[in-house]
Amino acid sequence: MKTLTLVLALLLPTITFGDEKVPADNLILLPVENDPTVSFRIWFKVGSQNDPAGKEGLSAITASMMTDGATRKNSYEDILDKLFPLASGYNASSSVEMTVITGRTHKDNLREYYPLLTEAILMPAFKQEDLDRIKSQVLNYLENTLRYASDEELGKAVLYNTIFAGTPYGHITRGLIESVKSITLDDVKKFYQQYYTRDNVAIGLGGGYDAPLVDRLRKDLQALPAGVSTQVAKPQPQPINGLHVTIVDKDAASTAISLGFPINIVRGTKEWYALAIANAWLGEHRNSSSHLYQVIREKRGLNYGDYSYIENFPNGGGLQMPPQNVGRRQQIFEIWIRPVPNETRHFALRAALREFKKLVDNGMSQSEFTLTKGFLAKYVLHYAPTTMERLGYAIDDKFYALNGSHLQTFRTMMSELTLADVNAAIKKHWQYRNIQIAIVTKDAQSFKDALLSDARSPITYKSPKPESALSEDQEISTFPLRIKAENVKIVRVGELFVK
Amino acid sequence: MKQGIVILCSLLILTGTTAMADSIFPYKYQKEVLPNGLTVIMIPMESPGLVAYYSVVRTGSRDEVEQGKSGFAHFFEHMMFRGTKKYPGSVYDSVITSIGADANAYTTDDLTAYHLSFAKEDLEKVIEMESDRFQNLHYEKPAFQTEAGAVYGEYRKSITSPFSVLNEKMQDLAYDVHTYKHTTIGFEADIKAMPEAFDYSKTFFQRFYRPENIVIVVSGDIDPAATLDLINKYYAGWEKGYVAPKIVPEPPQAKERYAEVSYPGKTLPIIDIAYKGGAFDPTNRTYVAALLLGDLAFGDNSDLYKKLVIKEQKVQFISSGIPMNRDLPLFEIYSMVKKEEDIAYVRDEVYRTVDQFKITPVDQKKLSDIKKRNKYGFLMGLDTPDNVAGGLARLVAITGGVDVVDILYGQFDTVTPQEIMQAAQKYFTPEQRTVVVLKGAQ
Repeated sequence: MKTLTLVLALLLPTITFGDEKVPADNLILLPVENDPTVSFRIWFKVGSQNDPAGKEGLSAITASMMTDGATRKNSYEDILDKLFPLASGYNASSSVEMTVITGRTHKDNLREYYPLLTEAILMPAFKQEDLDRIKSQVLNYLENTLRYASDEELGKAVLYNTIFAGTPYGHITRGLIESVKSITLDDVKKFYQQYYTRDNVAIGLGGGYDAPLVDRLRKDLQALPAGVSTQVAKPQPQPINGLHVTIVDKDAASTAISLGFPINIVRGTKEWYALAIANAWLGEHRNSSSHLYQVIREKRGLNYGDYSYIENFPNGGGLQMPPQNVGRRQQIFEIWIRPVPNETRHFALRAALREFKKLVDNGMSQSEFTLTKGFLAKYVLHYAPTTMERLGYAIDDKFYALNGSHLQTFRTMMSELTLADVNAAIKKHWQYRNIQIAIVTKDAQSFKDALLSDARSPITYKSPKPESALSEDQEISTFPLRIKAENVKIVRVGELFVK
Repeated sequence: MKQGIVILCSLLILTGTTAMADSIFPYKYQKEVLPNGLTVIMIPMESPGLVAYYSVVRTGSRDEVEQGKSGFAHFFEHMMFRGTKKYPGSVYDSVITSIGADANAYTTDDLTAYHLSFAKEDLEKVIEMESDRFQNLHYEKPAFQTEAGAVYGEYRKSITSPFSVLNEKMQDLAYDVHTYKHTTIGFEADIKAMPEAFDYSKTFFQRFYRPENIVIVVSGDIDPAATLDLINKYYAGWEKGYVAPKIVPEPPQAKERYAEVSYPGKTLPIIDIAYKGGAFDPTNRTYVAALLLGDLAFGDNSDLYKKLVIKEQKVQFISSGIPMNRDLPLFEIYSMVKKEEDIAYVRDEVYRTVDQFKITPVDQKKLSDIKKRNKYGFLMGLDTPDNVAGGLARLVAITGGVDVVDILYGQFDTVTPQEIMQAAQKYFTPEQRTVVVLKGAQ
């Protein structure tokens, strides 16, 4: 085994000379002896919060230029040819604060794969034709896909942009249309020089790698340019006073609703895990245990699902479990109501807000608490079944400066926390008076009128419902929202994400 | 760049395994058939206390033969969560919650899969509950009608995608009589009418949810003997009774078909060029060659991809889908075109590429590259119990087992350039072609 290791180390290319290495502090290692694959997560502490004004989207485009373009060693076509037989690739995951180059390959193919991955990071060619292609993809997403292909993704993007307006979090990672159009090769090169530095990188390595690979990677990545990046201050979202509504006016067959407000808590503290219990009960992602799901979908059949979050969860429609490496210092509490028939939009909004208010006012019951903490203690096992996912969590542990493993703490906390802890966390971090609401629907003006007059929103069913549900419907349909005219804004879909 | 990888990997994930010493599959498995016809495949593998449990029903939207009942297999999948007299839906949910299982289900054209991932100490509870709902499902009409609303919600959330609109049109146009004419979620009119089909739903359960139509795949931290004992304990009393649907075969297509479809939102134009393909048959070398042809001709290191995506930049992407099915699926090539005036050019480039593969033997290096990619893509996909069991589900549904995997991979390994040419000649002919072009209305 040892001999093999040495041979492997010799076969890997040397890109730098000398003994300088990425410091051990910036290493996140997860060796798994029997894993036949090797997982890489190379983390750069940069994200869309670092986009210069007028160049929103630059961070994500720079990352794509590294992973979806030529290097100074190989044309993009040659890279595709070389990766193809390995059944491997590498991707850039860009978020607000983090950019992670991820890649995984079988041990048998490491020798061929390693130089391709490291060259993408160390010697991107930054060619105009690659920039043109990547910008075209981003613009197609912003102009067409996001505005038209999924109203729920659209609603979430509007919610985040509204809550964080005027802060470095105030635009989605892929940017704004006019800004993306203005991005030049010079912008990309400067951004790369400024942020893709040896002082700004952390190495995540997992799976069945041999020890010398760690040193090789540390030495090779030391060839990145020097330079410490300035830290962007944590965003200070504008306070929300009352219920604020942004209605995206669109010829939509159904209505997508997202709502939320900033919370001053991130993972790692006891209070966060207490809040996670309350959140799991209220709306665990894509899970029928979600209370909102039970009230809106299961009892009433209004939509496909209803969930809540205390951490950002991008691409919620495509993922069953939480993603990694989308860490944020400032999180929001968020409720996601999947598309409902337009005639039930007012009712569904009221139902969600009413359930949330009940939880904030009354807290959880002992039985709900016991069931949910038991659920989470085991359910978090599914958050990271693969080496790549566990490595992602290990990097996030470093992002959040945790002493131990978040997933481990999660399980431990489930036996330590009490109902009183959970209900105290609810009272401290959640409220229902000051919320931003984003709604994608048609006939925005009539919905605005209905909201402002707090008009009754009765609901009818094609099937018989139990008396208890019908009397609850009465309460929901008259649940007061007290929205003020100055807090409702109607925007046309074509005006979004422009500049 | 990544689109092709995702598609190929999903193809590979669908392929399976065996227990022979020289098998590509790295885990030993055990297959048993109970006297009532229920097949059980057990795959012990290293995984820290985790088990995946798949109940693969060999019924999907392909089996929806009755007029007006498209989408019913999927709707029925929803109903399976409404519980039994012993474990009513809310009790089933709370038990699943209490054991922290990741539980869900999905429906496709050829199968419906119910899957749970959970801690190994909960295996008996899971087997007891799964066997109960598969034998004793019970729901009343109001719950049935409420669930129809959730299904319509699922349709509504998806139909905003141009690809949903495109696929609906393509399947409707390409097929005349076979049930692949409708998508898995079904025609909207049929979804709207679902609340009226309560009595029909009961017959659906009686006909299809029978032991001889179902394969259970259990993978992860398990002891096969003990697992089999539990399955015997809970499933042995289940009575046979599967009634195979009379699926009308699609007659050969004699002439090319073409349609344009309008998407109500804004999108770049999408061209979908589809050919009537072959039913799954790993002993047919021309068919196996066709499974490789899609990536050779249209994958992300193909000449056409490099030309249209990277050099000329006339399309956002081009990709192919060569699925494995019980009956004749469509072999499709999708491209999203940046300018409407290039639609004809891109379409002709696809035709030209297909024609070239009919007369020019593929480069040996390219062929060996794709074989290597297949092998490693398959191995890398087998990393968790859920991925192993889930990855086998389609082959299990098509063939009833997983023995076929070694046959398939053995064939992949020996496909020749000549056979790739034969596959292009056999399947990719103009008269078997259906083309749909989608354009945005705004």
